[in-house]
Amino acid sequence: MSNSSNQKQTNNPLDIFVIGARKGFNIAINNLMPNIIMAFVITEILKRLGLMQLIGEVFAPVMGLFGLPGEAITVLLTAWLSASAGTGVAVNLISTGTLSGMDITILAPAIFLMGSQLQYMGRLLGVADVPKKYWPLLMVNSIVNALIAMIIMRFIV
Amino acid sequence: MSKKSDDEFKVGIKAYVSLIVAILFFSGLFYNVDGKAWLGAFDFTSLSGKFGTMLHPEKNTFVGEGGISARAGFIFALSLIPTVMLALGVLEIFTHYGTIRAAHKLLTPLLKPILGVPGKTGLALITDLQSTDAGAVLTKELYDEKQITKKDLVIISAWQYSGAGLINNYFSIGSALFASMSVAIFTPLVIMIVLKFVGAILVRLVLNSVYKKDFINE
Repeated sequence: MSNSSNQKQTNNPLDIFVIGARKGFNIAINNLMPNIIMAFVITEILKRLGLMQLIGEVFAPVMGLFGLPGEAITVLLTAWLSASAGTGVAVNLISTGTLSGMDITILAPAIFLMGSQLQYMGRLLGVADVPKKYWPLLMVNSIVNALIAMIIMRFIV
Repeated sequence: MSKKSDDEFKVGIKAYVSLIVAILFFSGLFYNVDGKAWLGAFDFTSLSGKFGTMLHPEKNTFVGEGGISARAGFIFALSLIPTVMLALGVLEIFTHYGTIRAAHKLLTPLLKPILGVPGKTGLALITDLQSTDAGAVLTKELYDEKQITKKDLVIISAWQYSGAGLINNYFSIGSALFASMSVAIFTPLVIMIVLKFVGAILVRLVLNSVYKKDFINE
């Protein structure tokens, strides 16, 4: 992803668009689609086992603070592991009508602010050599950011 | 058996368990068991799901209605591809015409007052918006060349870590959600960027109080 724009030097905006669109296609096929299929299958498993309903009921009070149904917690938990997977779960919950457009709007910034923390630990904190002592602080910080974002979005939507 | 061949061909209890699970999973034994739909969670055919149908032809798209599991996910993912391609195509054009460079220029003088880090860290921050990995490398270089202190390093990383690769991730992955959003797609982006700063400021405050002793020599 990214910064490969200087591989091919072209000033024709149409060509540039095509380069970007091609990147979009690759991301959609290689990243979005496998993640969405995984998310659809996992939610199907959770539904069949009755866990989805249980999660929805247990987390309803907490998520209610942000104006969201309890099931929304599944989006956040998966997003923490992988933003793409979290998005996949969100997409699934829209398609089944569990989450509304408004719910998605509240969740969207949170998905990315606390998203993919596990892999970015290595790819970012590890690479930049941030002392491990501060990793928990940065992690809590991301989650706090996500919570603030949901509160703000709640009043915007 | 010699020790060497043991290493080469070791079958633990885990392997046998997974073989049994695999056989059961693909066997169809759990498919459509009367009154026990939950068993389908362990059945290949059930999890393959089904495509949606044209229940209401006048409003259904090719995604259909009532699809479930893998099949529904596949078709749904297909339906998202056009927006992702459009978003990244347009983003590519903006990037080409220097949108990011302009943002870098505007950001630089604000860094010292807001985050207490040198203005030259702006490039590492802006780069992170596009690519997590490139941003991380730039940050490391700044520290290795002693251009920033350890405290700066932690503050910058905090900014980068929450919502890393934001612009690219939002337009590539997040575009799957755009069609369902009830506000302009720009709004969440602005909020996320502002919160990156809010978070970094909070981290700076914590470093200046709780961890004050760590940075006494800087």
